[in-house]
Amino acid sequence: MRRRGRIAFALAFIAPAVLLYAGLVLWPLLRAFALSLYHTRGLSTKKEFVGLQNYTDLAKDEIFRTAVTNNLKLLVVVVVAVTVLGLLLAHVTEGKGPVAKVLRSVYLFPHVISIVVVGILWQFLLHPSIGIVTATFDRLGWKDQPTWLGDPSTSLLSVAVAFVWYGIGFYIMLFSAALKGVPGDVFEAAELDGTRGLHRFWTITWPLIWSIRRVVVVHAAIATLNTFALVRLMTNGGPFRASEVTLTYLYEQGFQPNSFYGYATAIAVLNFLLVMGVSSVILAAFRRDPQAVRR
Amino acid sequence: MKALRFGWRGVTVLFVLAFLLGVTGPLAWVLASSLKSATQIATDPWALPTTLQWDNYANAWNGASTNLGRAFFNSLFVALATMVVLIPISAMAAYVLAKYAFPGSKAIYASFLAGMMFPQFLVIVPLYLTMVDLSLADTLPGLILVYIAFSLPFTVFVLTGFFHNLPDELGEAAMLDGCGHAKTFWRVMLPLARPGLVVVTIFNLIGLWNEYNLALVLVNSEERFTLPLALAKLSNTAQYTSDWGAMFAAIVITMGPVLLVYWLLKEKIQEAMLAGAVKG
Repeated sequence: MRRRGRIAFALAFIAPAVLLYAGLVLWPLLRAFALSLYHTRGLSTKKEFVGLQNYTDLAKDEIFRTAVTNNLKLLVVVVVAVTVLGLLLAHVTEGKGPVAKVLRSVYLFPHVISIVVVGILWQFLLHPSIGIVTATFDRLGWKDQPTWLGDPSTSLLSVAVAFVWYGIGFYIMLFSAALKGVPGDVFEAAELDGTRGLHRFWTITWPLIWSIRRVVVVHAAIATLNTFALVRLMTNGGPFRASEVTLTYLYEQGFQPNSFYGYATAIAVLNFLLVMGVSSVILAAFRRDPQAVRR
Repeated sequence: MKALRFGWRGVTVLFVLAFLLGVTGPLAWVLASSLKSATQIATDPWALPTTLQWDNYANAWNGASTNLGRAFFNSLFVALATMVVLIPISAMAAYVLAKYAFPGSKAIYASFLAGMMFPQFLVIVPLYLTMVDLSLADTLPGLILVYIAFSLPFTVFVLTGFFHNLPDELGEAAMLDGCGHAKTFWRVMLPLARPGLVVVTIFNLIGLWNEYNLALVLVNSEERFTLPLALAKLSNTAQYTSDWGAMFAAIVITMGPVLLVYWLLKEKIQEAMLAGAVKG
């Protein structure tokens, strides 16, 4: 009977959220795809439609290629590290001892203190004169250690270490939620069959947590492909582009002295396509439920 | 077999202790360094502070190079103003999406979900241009509006789940008692969704306190810097001026409130993080 009032109420209630979202998220999103087809220079000058030229230019852009390669290197290192370390540490947090208890309360610290703080913190941990990491290596007798962030051969690795330090807690949390989800009687049955330790892990735990494994790998892949603040604050892409990633290059093209908005947006679109491509590959590779095969 | 197991146990314990040191060590080092003089920081990174340099905090808060105190209040203002608008409008939208099916409601929900998937940087250039068009670039109200819009997907998603789980009979009973649609929402449903509101509020507050990318692009004037921008600037100047003490104090000031809130509300924050992670 109050059908009309019902719909009017629903529309009125949802309107503020939808309008803000459409105006400041969806509209710029549509504009992004259009903007990437223009040549632009700063705010004032006219823009010129050039079709796909920004994209063909990017395909030839050496710096952009370096950035994508660095992104993919970062992805592999980080995904492997967080899966192995995260799973190991998630097992430990299950324990009842005091160590497990302390671990449970601090492992998310790095993840909540802001990526900006993490970037600055690691910049100074690795600082050649005041850094405690360099000082420790020095005391241990490593006299010719590299200047971690200033050396092209170690700057990307340093960023990867900081990234793992920042992200690991989140993945420990995901894995321990998955481990809690494994029914206790499955483990009891395994125990009775004499399956324990690593064997129990490979035959029971690993197949049972397949869905979280997938979430972890996809999440870590997306996070590394969208790395920005950490690189900007630790190395700013240097030295000599050795740690340049797509988004630091986007920022350079879009917001540093010369603003090539069209070119920068084309980088954003390509990075988005890269993210989509990589996640689809991962999702396809992890698609099947290993339990379903056995049944 | 037994010896082997003990061996593994030993390795595990060592590994975990190394991890604990790796997490807490750097934070303890920052805290210790924030109380040391610049010369002491430069001579021995391992030394404990001899005389506590509280001046470092005063210098960071109100220093010549960067005014962290102002940035602190900017961040606080932006975060609170965002929440004041974000929470009601998300709750209203989430309630409608959970309880009122109308043509297009599924599409709206899907578009909010999509907002959690695509990266911010895809829209960052056109977003900046849109803010310039609206004369809202480099203003705090502009930043707040953007923060509200970009926080909507996650907030609506979590709250829709909460409203979905509230029994329909409650709303029907309230309507029979003479409440209108709106009154039913404000008086009956919203109070029942309190646990969800608490979770999204804390989670968003931490996220906004730490936000860097959007603020970097949308805010240029130093008097409107949020805390992460001011900290980044300060660490940059510290490289040239060697005012290390103030920089470490600034790091402590930035991460302190977040660590405190996290410590008090660990379970709730983890709940929200898990909800956000396993969404798709």
